[in-house]
Amino acid sequence: MADKSKQGKEYPPMVWEVERGKIRELVRAIGDFDPVWVDKEVATKEGYKDCPAPPTFLTVPMMWCGSMPQVINDLKINFAMVLHGEEEYEYYQEIYPGNVITGRPIITKVEEKTSKSGRKMDMVTMEIDYTNQKGEKVAKARSLLVERK
Amino acid sequence: MPKKVYFEDINVGDAMPELKKGPVQKLQHVMYAGASGDFNPLHTDDDFAKAVGMDGVIAHGMLIMGSVGQAITSWIPKKHIKKFGVRFSGMTKPGSTIIITGTVTNKRIEAGKNIITCEVTAKDEQGDVKVTGSFEAALPSKG
Repeated sequence: MADKSKQGKEYPPMVWEVERGKIRELVRAIGDFDPVWVDKEVATKEGYKDCPAPPTFLTVPMMWCGSMPQVINDLKINFAMVLHGEEEYEYYQEIYPGNVITGRPIITKVEEKTSKSGRKMDMVTMEIDYTNQKGEKVAKARSLLVERK
Repeated sequence: MPKKVYFEDINVGDAMPELKKGPVQKLQHVMYAGASGDFNPLHTDDDFAKAVGMDGVIAHGMLIMGSVGQAITSWIPKKHIKKFGVRFSGMTKPGSTIIITGTVTNKRIEAGKNIITCEVTAKDEQGDVKVTGSFEAALPSKG
């Protein structure tokens, strides 16, 4: 049974310095060779201050800072049975190399659902609000985790 | 290559340029694990994947979302993207080729901003859906 008492629970903020090399690693793994992610000159010609973080970059601090694993452990979710159901981002401004971003994870929803085949599933929604080193909002991420029972 | 996309040039029903990716390789799963920090062995260790009832490793959902992100930003620059969300609906096995398509479903002026909504889908060559989602962009006007 999903632990509804965790709804509204906030986790300690995570702090992450955005490295140029980490952006390069991510786009290389995706196979996205747009030079805007890795070449500052190209990026500035396109109107950016530096190479912008690509759209799914925020998965990097979330996983490397252990926020997702922390939530999975805290909610006693079986790691082998968890599926990533949904992921959504809202972008307020660009994230650049050298930015120090802080993410504040919160569990916004815990619910139990039954699939069409009658299988029980726990659905956990986590949101992370990200700010930069100036305290400005840069993005919000929303993740839905599904634990198959 | 600088890209310029204007609100006036995009209409409801327009197709996002298709992006074909792959075939996805196991090596890419390893690269993605290291880059993203998602070390769930389901993506990199065939023995583990088999022990939990799969045929073998599957790609990280976020790798496919990243590919959808690539399809979007090779059309509309990152700086215009305001929202991007997906639902993971199918698992991707190594060797799959992923085809990403999209259609503009809404165009409006909201609080002085020129917003478009575009629905996106990633499927394999057999037509199995891996990811569905949408994004919103605020585009410049030729004014």
